[in-house]
Amino acid sequence: MHCTMDDLLALRANEGSAWARRHLDECSVCQTELEALYQRVARLKALPPLGPARDRWPAIRDAIVAERRRRLRRWSGVGLAAAAALAGLIVFAPFGPRQVDAAELARAKQQSATLEEELQRYGPTGRVMSGRSAALVAELEDRIAVIDGELARVGGSAAQLRHDELVTLWQERVTLMQQLVDAHVTRVSYVGL
Amino acid sequence: MTISLAVPDILVARARAGDLEALEALYRAFETPVYNLARRMLRHPEEAEDVLQETFLEVVKSIRSYRGEGPLWAWIRKIAASKALMRIRREQVRTAELLDEETAPGSPVHKSLPARIDLERALEQLSETSRSVVWLHDVEGYTHEEIAELMGKTVSFSKSQLARAHARLRRMLEKEGAAP
Ligand SMILES: [Zn+2]
Repeated sequence: MHCTMDDLLALRANEGSAWARRHLDECSVCQTELEALYQRVARLKALPPLGPARDRWPAIRDAIVAERRRRLRRWSGVGLAAAAALAGLIVFAPFGPRQVDAAELARAKQQSATLEEELQRYGPTGRVMSGRSAALVAELEDRIAVIDGELARVGGSAAQLRHDELVTLWQERVTLMQQLVDAHVTRVSYVGL
Repeated sequence: MTISLAVPDILVARARAGDLEALEALYRAFETPVYNLARRMLRHPEEAEDVLQETFLEVVKSIRSYRGEGPLWAWIRKIAASKALMRIRREQVRTAELLDEETAPGSPVHKSLPARIDLERALEQLSETSRSVVWLHDVEGYTHEEIAELMGKTVSFSKSQLARAHARLRRMLEKEGAAP
């Protein structure tokens, strides 16, 4: 009796039975089979990678943009901020560019970065978390992602967004980040870490 | 196919912030490996493309939860493998396909088998479950435990699928006239 494919695979994984190991030492047929197994796998690994026939990125990008719009509408807080900023644009436009405190923007960005650092200290997600706080964290992360998406969208072309709109978005981000840090602090102290 | 795709941290950070350009760069970096994995597991190219798309939408959605705990490729690959396996399961439910359909005597697959067949085509002859197991285990380097978990099956299921896949590949390649 020769080795079965199960035996050969077990031998390859160094998990072969005592019988199979002994048999392999003596049987040239099974030695050849094991070698063939190694070669087959080497050939599988050497198969050239296949690429998609069509470019799926445009569809993915459209889906991302549609999802962001949907979320922006859903989170009325963000929607209101954007609407208010837009209203400001209309009201103030006839009187020339509005004087915006650049320091305010810098402050919001700095606060945001500080909170990011603080958040990193709480380590990776997936630690013990109650369902409730997990849901809260997910919601806050979602909302931050929406704002980040907006910031990224307008980031490249400064002309698209006025300074005060930027400040509004950044301040909104700071508020959400603070809530997210609070959620993690509460969770961490709750589980006693 | 062995992949050691290193992506700059700054690109990941920008993608995490939702930057569309960075997300596209990530897509371009992983487009072929993800598609290749899905295509090796699934029979139909369009389905593999769908998996590619679903995988990246999931990456976009979840990249904030990826904190660099392992290589990015390993993280993306697991998402892609799960999506492909989900399709295989759905297809099995839909057609009530038996897992050992391919070994049934006189099945159309056997009849249409050409005398000469290369490895690429031999792989195509396996059931989607078999080829997934052989690809994930032998090429991607997943353990039987990991495959069992991904598939929602037992370790012995994964082991027996691998043995059957190899037995079939061996037979088909033997017909080719050249070992292995
Ligand atoms: Zn033997």
